[in-house]
Amino acid sequence: MLNLPRWQNIVIIAITVLSGIFALPNLLPAAVLDALPGWYSQSRINLGLDLRGGAHFLLEADLRGVINERLTNLSDSLRGELRKQQVGYRDVTVEPGRAVVVNLREEGQRARAIEAIRTLDPALAISGEGGTIRIAYSDQDLFRRKKEVIDQSIEILRRRVDETGTLEPTIVRQGDERILLQVPGIKDTSDLKRKINQTAKLTFHLVNEDVAATGQNIPPTLPPTTYLVPTREGMQALRATNPKAWEDIQSANPRPGPEQICRRYQPQCLPVFKRVVVGGEDLDDARATFEQQQGGRPIISFTFNSAGGRAFCAATRANIGKRLAIQLDNEIISAPVVQSAICGGSGIITGQFTTQQTQEQALLLRSGALPATLTIIEERTVGADLGADAIRAGTVAAIVGIILVAVFMFVAYGPVFGGFANLAVVVNLMMVFAGMSVLGASLTLPGIAGLVLTVGMAVDSNVLIYERVREEKALGRSAFSSLATGYERAMSAIIDANLTTLVAGVLMFSFGSGPIRGFATTLSLGLLTTMFSATIFTRMLLAAWVRWRRPTELVI
Amino acid sequence: MLWKPVRLFTFKRKFDFLRYRKAALVISSLINVAALVGAFTVGLNFGIDFRGGIAIQAKARDGVAQLDALRATVGNLNVGEVALQEFGDPSTALIRVQRQDAGPQCVAGAQRILQKRAGPDWRVAPGAAGTGDVLFTAPSALDSTGWRDAVSRVGLTVQERLLPRGANTTAKVDMTVDQQAEWCQQVAIKLVEDAIGDRYEIAGTESVGPKIGAELMETGIWAVLATMAAIALYVWFRFEWQFAVAALVAMLHDVLSTIGLFVLLQLDFNLAALAAVLTIAGYSINDTVVVFDRVRENMRRYKKLGLVDLLNLSLNETLARTLMTSATVFVAILALVLFGGPVLASFSVAMLWGVIVGVYSTVWIACAALVYMNFRPEQLRPKEEAEKAEA
Repeated sequence: MLNLPRWQNIVIIAITVLSGIFALPNLLPAAVLDALPGWYSQSRINLGLDLRGGAHFLLEADLRGVINERLTNLSDSLRGELRKQQVGYRDVTVEPGRAVVVNLREEGQRARAIEAIRTLDPALAISGEGGTIRIAYSDQDLFRRKKEVIDQSIEILRRRVDETGTLEPTIVRQGDERILLQVPGIKDTSDLKRKINQTAKLTFHLVNEDVAATGQNIPPTLPPTTYLVPTREGMQALRATNPKAWEDIQSANPRPGPEQICRRYQPQCLPVFKRVVVGGEDLDDARATFEQQQGGRPIISFTFNSAGGRAFCAATRANIGKRLAIQLDNEIISAPVVQSAICGGSGIITGQFTTQQTQEQALLLRSGALPATLTIIEERTVGADLGADAIRAGTVAAIVGIILVAVFMFVAYGPVFGGFANLAVVVNLMMVFAGMSVLGASLTLPGIAGLVLTVGMAVDSNVLIYERVREEKALGRSAFSSLATGYERAMSAIIDANLTTLVAGVLMFSFGSGPIRGFATTLSLGLLTTMFSATIFTRMLLAAWVRWRRPTELVI
Repeated sequence: MLWKPVRLFTFKRKFDFLRYRKAALVISSLINVAALVGAFTVGLNFGIDFRGGIAIQAKARDGVAQLDALRATVGNLNVGEVALQEFGDPSTALIRVQRQDAGPQCVAGAQRILQKRAGPDWRVAPGAAGTGDVLFTAPSALDSTGWRDAVSRVGLTVQERLLPRGANTTAKVDMTVDQQAEWCQQVAIKLVEDAIGDRYEIAGTESVGPKIGAELMETGIWAVLATMAAIALYVWFRFEWQFAVAALVAMLHDVLSTIGLFVLLQLDFNLAALAAVLTIAGYSINDTVVVFDRVRENMRRYKKLGLVDLLNLSLNETLARTLMTSATVFVAILALVLFGGPVLASFSVAMLWGVIVGVYSTVWIACAALVYMNFRPEQLRPKEEAEKAEA
């Protein structure tokens, strides 16, 4: 039987109409789209970088380097701790990428040595026998650290690329140690590379408490050792109250110095000594945690390398009770009061922070330097002109392909059946567009090739059905019976034929990268929608046609 | 009725396809062996996706790309093998530079760039032997920002392990040899850009480092094997193991002969070409599965028929649809070949070939394989039917 239950017809029509609705934003002119709600007008197919122009970088993080550095740091602090505990050792060596090995002078001191190691970090894995102690980070710990390194790098890259003002960069993790950075529309990649290379400048300064300098009360001259720096809160307040001024500051070239900003626009500022107590290059890590003693306030804890630790220790010891300003890119992000000398190479910043704020601040502190060396291992850039050429070639090929296939079907199966098959192709393309819009998939040049191939293959199912109908007709069945049996009998071949190609498409998607993925996406989507449009949808059309014309003789 | 359908593929007589199976077997084997031998001797013309390397599309600012002059200019840069061709239209040249490896020529290239862009007093030299370290010398002391800016001029990007030393007039960049090799790609791009930048606009750049090239190659081989295995599994699941083996042999034939085509025409074998190979594997099995479907059906209908006759009958019955479906795909891909532009050229040509070879392999590989596996249709009948037949 050709006829479907009414509810199925309703579902088929609903799916078709919905596809049309979701495919529509891709065709509407910008003026119409602006008038539509954003969630709808923005659900459109993204053009891949090869079509719109832009840069694609695959960056690899040097995680082995990070781990070795960490092991070297561990071996340094270990030597200090062992000396402090008066444990004699012959040597402390680093096994690259794996562990730190300590050779003790006396086996008897093993327990004491292990205790010393435990005070450094209780989570370390300790092995070895007698006078040899092998210390390694646990696999879990290393795994977490690697993940952190990539996450941090992504955040830092995002911050730096955002500063270039480029729209919609994509920065995502790829595998265990890679980051994919895609920036559409960019022409000069050397500028981007330089921006990525820039470090946010982080410095610690003491606040000059002798100078009162707020709002209108800024003294006309300051001691030569002191300058004014706006606070981040101050700048944010300025942006809220006087957006024009904020814009001026951002767009000025060169950007006015911090003191100029303070004097001209009078945001909240602090007078700080010019001398840098510690620079960001000496900061190893900063993270948001919770204070243990006083009710678990959110705080930021940070660690310095040895040089930074010594400088910080001396500065805090001499300035208890005074404020220490943390300056990032010419803004003071925080100015906590020094409570005590901070000498262990690490310290904490307290303040009226929310948990989220501490996380942001910790990130800002860390964002001075990337945690790992990133190497470009793949770079692809496409100029906008080239992208436009590719779109033109792809569109022409697609249109010609569709017309050729349509003519072919009309000739081979006549206006009615050829027409149904061609209508199915249109619905099929519409569904692929709708699917890609909803999934937010990117259309690439190979993707267009996939579309063209889909058009060629989409009519396959109809060919299978129609040829079968011809066969059944030749066997002497009635018009109606030939159609019904043809549909039914062709179905298993259709499913097999489409699923085998779909297997290839899905595997291509999972193995492939960039361009292959674009191809696999449209091909797979096309195969899936074909099974709907070429079989179920045309079946509904045919059933309606049969009811209307009641043919006694099939012209096929 | 506006017009009558035209029967494009109707054949009055029935073809005895499998009569020629021996000849087909010999020819196909020869072609496949030739393809394999060719792949290992002449070699595939691997694109930079797999070999690693650089491809730059340069568009002449004044109209016509002078390939000879370009070849001389780029050839003098000491960046290894360079290949040039016109790309799409006479104004655009595709410059392909071989994969760059770590070494003194790369460091020397970096120095040339730095001297051109920063000043003649700059020096770049290799660091300790066995490492990829590079030492920079500046004419005057620099702070870390200055250093960072300087090294970024030679394409050392996001390089944090920069260690200024002494009076800050020298700095060492810590690298492994592998990292330096990746960096050398950037150096070579810059050298080419500097050399041709005044007469050519860089329309697009592709650079695949040594590491990723090798990886893409490995993944590509796995993808082809996995695809064939998955399709064979599917056929096994839907039919019988003999059909799966036959399908696998047919796919192998199509993949190998496609590779042969790439060797013969020396088409650029890149990621898109690999996609074509995978699609051919998936698509050519389409026709095969349709025939298998009919074979299975006929097995139940004509129980007394011998295997060769059964296969011939099924092939003849499905011949029109096989040719029709292939023809529609053929015309669609023909449009891609003619109008799709140079980027898709090797992909489209390979697909066009795949459609033709797919029809051939359905008839003379997949079905012939079934004959040679000496498989008996009776074995495949469901048990009840077989019993009924006996009764």
